[in-house]
Amino acid sequence: MTARGFLAGSISSPVRAFLFLLVAAPLLAGCGYNTIPTNEERAKAAWSEVLNQYQRRADLIPNLVETVNAFAAQEREVLTAVVEARAQATSVQISPEMLSNPEALQAFQEGQANLTGALSRLLAVVESYPDLKSSQNFLALQAQLEGTENRIAVARRDYIEAVRVYNTSLRTFPSVIWANLWFTGNEPFATFTIDTDKMEVPKVDFNDNG
Amino acid sequence: MAALALLLLVAFAGSALAQSLPTLTGRVVDNAGIIDPASETALAARLEAFEGKSSDQIVVATISNLGGEAIEPYANRLFRAWGLGQAGEDNGILLLVAVEDRRMRIEVGYGLEGTLTDLHAKLIIENTMVPAFRAGDFSGGISQAVEDIILVLEGNAAELEARAERNSEDEGVWWEIIPFVLFFAVWGSLFFGSIFFAIFAPIFGRKIAPGRYRWLGVNVSYGGSGSSSGSRSSSSGSSWSSSSSSSFSGGGGSSGGGGASGSW
Repeated sequence: MTARGFLAGSISSPVRAFLFLLVAAPLLAGCGYNTIPTNEERAKAAWSEVLNQYQRRADLIPNLVETVNAFAAQEREVLTAVVEARAQATSVQISPEMLSNPEALQAFQEGQANLTGALSRLLAVVESYPDLKSSQNFLALQAQLEGTENRIAVARRDYIEAVRVYNTSLRTFPSVIWANLWFTGNEPFATFTIDTDKMEVPKVDFNDNG
Repeated sequence: MAALALLLLVAFAGSALAQSLPTLTGRVVDNAGIIDPASETALAARLEAFEGKSSDQIVVATISNLGGEAIEPYANRLFRAWGLGQAGEDNGILLLVAVEDRRMRIEVGYGLEGTLTDLHAKLIIENTMVPAFRAGDFSGGISQAVEDIILVLEGNAAELEARAERNSEDEGVWWEIIPFVLFFAVWGSLFFGSIFFAIFAPIFGRKIAPGRYRWLGVNVSYGGSGSSSGSRSSSSGSSWSSSSSSSFSGGGGSSGGGGASGSW
């Protein structure tokens, strides 16, 4: 069946360009042109979720400090440490455009790790105040804090996975072709590393009843 | 052959990975065997009725141990693997009990975090489950906890109805099929167009040479093998298997780690 003449004949050039696009768009998509931007946006969204959960934790802290202060004002040192760590942690902000900068992420991570440490010291101190521990307000805050810490863990895990997928797509066939041809500005994203203090073996001292 | 071996390898690897998580057999997955059969039946019926009303998927799972993992990541993994809650709505809840670890967790999907807050989950665990579990009454503790969860979810009645409305499956609107009709119109004209052309050209067209016809401005020539194109529409017998409604599966929801855990 010959269908020349029918196609090559009286078709104006805008229509031909449109037909070309009609054919080319799915072909480009099929070749993985969309892979890198899709993965990049997914990683950025995962990062926003990380920020969101850290912010949620930071928002809980003033209330927590207030509540502890009402029962245990003499623990001024621990309370100040939490407030300062919060101020320091929230001062480091990372926009999605800065994700390819490992140093920035490291600074962010250190700030948040400091806050985690200060918070856990505060919660340890609380153990010696039974009134505080059984107060409804503190129980509510504690439940929210625990939930937020867990959400942070989930968000971090999701971010690590999204970055792994994105970084892999920058380096593997066939998407690496597009990375070199078109997305030359795309850098691999930095990801979380295990905090150095978590790698130490926990110390158990039975003589200290703290 | 090599491809087949690779395929088998992938299949085995997949099943080996999935083996670490229990399979979703129903709304009550009692792998540790701590719920008595009567309560289990009643619980499953209760959960099914509640899902019918609200579209919220609550699943109770018990396991003997966590294999050294913390309960929070395990519960999140299980929740996502099962896909509890409706897709897009993420309104699932997983009540997980690890017997040997003496840990329990209520994992709440994204969509219910605002209704069943971490504090609610914590209170249900501390006030309902822990006392019953300490007394050794697993069935009672779990049943009562499920009642409490349902109570909290039902607390916001307007939102509950709105959610059920959004996720009712049997409501189809006629214009939802327009994309399918369009697709089959385009696909059909591409697929059958050439065949029809080959068939109709000799009938309606103008004969310009032996075996050559001109119809609608297109020259159609037939080769020696004659009308081969006419018999090409091989009917592939596609059998549609209707999914039975008795089996239970997650709706594709996800969880961001909301909820609370406790121990007894």
